Amino acid sequence: MGTATGVFHTTYRKDLALRHTKAEYIRLGLLAAVAVWLPFNISTYWLGWTNIILLATIAAVGLNILLGYTGLISLATAGFLGVGAYTAANLKVFYHWPMVPSVLVATVVAALIGAFFGLPALRLKGLYLAISTFAAQEILEERFRSWKWLTRDQGTIVTTYPSVGETRLDTKFEWYWLLLVIAGLVFWASINLFRTGLGRAFVAIRDQDIAAEVMGVPVGRYKVLAFSIACGLAGFSGALQAFYIDTQVVTWENYQLDKSFTFVAMIIIGGLGSVSGAVYGAAFLTWLPNYINQFGASLQTSSFAIVIRKLSALQLAVFGLVLVVFLLVEPRGLARLWQRIKDYFRLWPFRY
Amino acid sequence: MSDPEVTRFLTLTVNGLANGAILAVTALGFVLIYKATEVINFAQGQFLIFGAFMVYQAEKEWGLPWPAAVAVGIGSGIFLGVAVERLILRRMIGESPLSVIMVTVGLASALAGAALGIWGAEGRRGPAFIPSKSVNLVGDVSVGANRLWAVGVATVVLIAVGLFFQKSRHGIAMRAVADDQQAAMVQGINVNRIFAMAWALSGAAAAIGGVLLASIAGSYGIELQGFALLVFPVVILGGLDSVLGTVVGGIIVGLLVEYSKSYISVSASVLIPFAALVAILLVKPYGLFGQVRIERV
Amino acid sequence: MIRFARKLALPLCFALITGVACGGGDDGGSDTSKGAEGKSEIKVGAIFDLSGQTADIGTPYSEGIRDYIDYKNSQGGVDGHKIALPWQDFKYDPTLAGQLYGQYVSEGAKAFLGWGTADTEALRPRVTSDKVPFMSASNAETLTDPSVTPYNFFPGASYSQQMRIILQYIADQNKGKRTEVAFFHHDSPFGTSPLEDGKKYIADKKLDVGFKSYVMPKGATDYVAQIGQARSQGAKYIVVQNVPSPAAVLATNLANSKADIQFVCLNYCGNEIFVKKAGAAAEKMIAVVPFAPPVAGLPGLEEINNYLKPKGTDAIAKGQGYVQGWYTAAVMLEGIKNALAAGGELNGESIKAGLEKVKDFQTGVSDPINFSSTYHAGLLSAPLYQVEGGQFKKIQDPITVEK
Repeated sequence: MGTATGVFHTTYRKDLALRHTKAEYIRLGLLAAVAVWLPFNISTYWLGWTNIILLATIAAVGLNILLGYTGLISLATAGFLGVGAYTAANLKVFYHWPMVPSVLVATVVAALIGAFFGLPALRLKGLYLAISTFAAQEILEERFRSWKWLTRDQGTIVTTYPSVGETRLDTKFEWYWLLLVIAGLVFWASINLFRTGLGRAFVAIRDQDIAAEVMGVPVGRYKVLAFSIACGLAGFSGALQAFYIDTQVVTWENYQLDKSFTFVAMIIIGGLGSVSGAVYGAAFLTWLPNYINQFGASLQTSSFAIVIRKLSALQLAVFGLVLVVFLLVEPRGLARLWQRIKDYFRLWPFRY
Repeated sequence: MSDPEVTRFLTLTVNGLANGAILAVTALGFVLIYKATEVINFAQGQFLIFGAFMVYQAEKEWGLPWPAAVAVGIGSGIFLGVAVERLILRRMIGESPLSVIMVTVGLASALAGAALGIWGAEGRRGPAFIPSKSVNLVGDVSVGANRLWAVGVATVVLIAVGLFFQKSRHGIAMRAVADDQQAAMVQGINVNRIFAMAWALSGAAAAIGGVLLASIAGSYGIELQGFALLVFPVVILGGLDSVLGTVVGGIIVGLLVEYSKSYISVSASVLIPFAALVAILLVKPYGLFGQVRIERV
Repeated sequence: MIRFARKLALPLCFALITGVACGGGDDGGSDTSKGAEGKSEIKVGAIFDLSGQTADIGTPYSEGIRDYIDYKNSQGGVDGHKIALPWQDFKYDPTLAGQLYGQYVSEGAKAFLGWGTADTEALRPRVTSDKVPFMSASNAETLTDPSVTPYNFFPGASYSQQMRIILQYIADQNKGKRTEVAFFHHDSPFGTSPLEDGKKYIADKKLDVGFKSYVMPKGATDYVAQIGQARSQGAKYIVVQNVPSPAAVLATNLANSKADIQFVCLNYCGNEIFVKKAGAAAEKMIAVVPFAPPVAGLPGLEEINNYLKPKGTDAIAKGQGYVQGWYTAAVMLEGIKNALAAGGELNGESIKAGLEKVKDFQTGVSDPINFSSTYHAGLLSAPLYQVEGGQFKKIQDPITVEK
């Protein structure tokens, strides 16, 4: 689906290519141009939020591999963000490691713990697996809250002065470039995954795991691997967040169940199974509460001042409504919506 | 019989049973929905506080006498359940289970936001129609009367529901739908009506659980919705589709939490139920009383 | 209907995207007003907990601060400069606190009114390197030493100081006997703040007091298990470091268990919110309150009552949290006044110096407030009040103990 008429693939190479038509390459070029133009032309405030979106994207793409590709529901994303954040922050603040090794080690730790909590996938399916990841989230959350050693009894860890090699990363501008490159690489790796045997195996597991097993796919091993990858990426995102200027405070309140649900919602609203959908979902659901805040704040001086007092209630309610409405109206998410927009232009004046 | 250790144990037991009773009533709603419609309702906690808040609203703000207020609460629970089923869940028939779960999650968030917006973050002193005076049981063991009432009311509700399923026409119809929707339809059972009934009963049960919980907690506040998280260990232990299972599961989890909170630590009281949940999922995923499903390719 | 909605989805998306792109971001909520002679306004950023786990006391506190700023502005501001207060509800989420702090400081806030221990601790490094005076409602001992936290201030008596006061009182009331004290606290650094200092005080002064701590977890619906443990300890006193709502639940549980234990509240549950929530169980509670609860006849309430009378309410109705917020804002503005009087540029350093010059600041609801360049907490003493018949009565004049 989605490729213009008249485009035939004559070699395997062309078939596997990521972009098929000139129009697609132009769109890609435009996107790159916008990405480069952005940090010079928007306010620091919005640049900050863009950075947060990029951070969320990393974890969302990871979750998409687990949920969209392999069909395994995980409600523990927030917990693994926390694992990454606490590990990296611990290494930096208490052991004085530099940023890069801290983040890398944190990713590996998150991946290993993710593999451990993914072991139930060997025996459970669907709903029951979801419930076991829910239990994993609660357990991780509880440990963050009560294990005093994690924060040496300070309750929170605050990291300061992150630097890559010699350069101090002090401004949102510098962070933007770093995060753009990292997010871009993660995105590209995820798309590429679908072109490999491993990626196809994941999809086979999602579609019908018993048949996949019969075909020779080592289902158990790959399920745990999928968990490992997703949790590792979540940990990676969490570790980076621990160093990012605006979110330098590592506190257990950031890694609660509702955040896990937000990430699953990102995947669903973005479009299940679509990597770019994960990005759209991450952008939308990160931007939405912020937008509500701004909207409420702008009403401060008007007769609707009551709104700012009820902002948190509004955020919750709007998030819920958006989720419900999306699922009712466009269950295949933003990616499908975008696809329809593209198709409209591509096929015009025809309907289909 | 005034040995402080024995007193401690007995007090914990009574409190554990009371909490377990409320858990069982709340989990009952959860199980009802799953049994009839195979939907996992993540908004059960919000149904709980909505029912409780409506009772508060009716009694304190509208000045109704408490039996009327309770009726309002239960009525709004029923209304909420039916509304959700009709407006939202009916359109999700046939969608993947993940989508349905996420719809209930979205619903939970929307309801939580609405509750927060209407009644605010502060807990309120609620109508005190459930007596909460201290009652001396045995020797030195004193508990609030509201806990005994919780056990009593929950028992009545659970027995009533059990009888409903065994004897009444609608109850048997619900079991039929849970067993095999198509066969039930063939028999002439209005499956849509049964779905609505299941959600309505669930809303009512949640409202009752909410009122009991608010009485024990001493306030009608939004933090009560967190209590519903423990429903998961209860239903996994008891079996997602067994009423008897929720009773047994509720009692076990309620006692387990109280004992571990006092004898080990507060952390343990959170870790143990969830670790137990994972263990049970690995060993007996359908719980003690649940129906074993056979998966076909 | 659904099909119609799907048709709408496309054009709606277009509209939304263009709307957002054009709308951009507006600035945050702020109480602003133009100065009379065109003197520049002074921005002070603020964060409040209006819906998080300390919202019960955070809400009246926020009203107290906002109302004081409004009152002061209506009188012409500080030396003719009106005060602008950009503020938002941060829900006791330290990350959101960090974002709001960064936002307001980048918009020109010269000082900051924080709230709890979590956000204050989290912002401490930034506040120090940004040189932004930070006045909090958190009374953690760690914030009092300017050599460690040069830009943190709070007007009350530190939690550790309150703990020392009550331990001394307990020891004095029970001379010659070993007394067991159970310390129940909020599950956070706010809760554990006075813990170590309490133990140290007992050891240093060789008090015959046994001391054990119990956590009150967030979202708990009862504390029966912990009470059981306290009874096994043989505790005669339960000292509570928490906000009013959980403390009220604890008091109710304690009353139901009919244990013979004296209930003591440190400043954040020693208020009328607790009494209202605990009802009969609040009787006989002893409160350590550096800022006293507003009772009739307390001298510092006149100014507040004059402000509130046109609004049809008074200080007693608004409660202790409101009064504390009122005077916290007052102290901050006093510091700014001192900074303006000293001349020169108005910035973080000058405001810090101005705050350190605040001496003998009368509030009427507490001992006079003093800051110095060596101690950034406003008080070293606290009186004890007890609940009788639902009302607070003073039972002990302000006690001061050496640190």
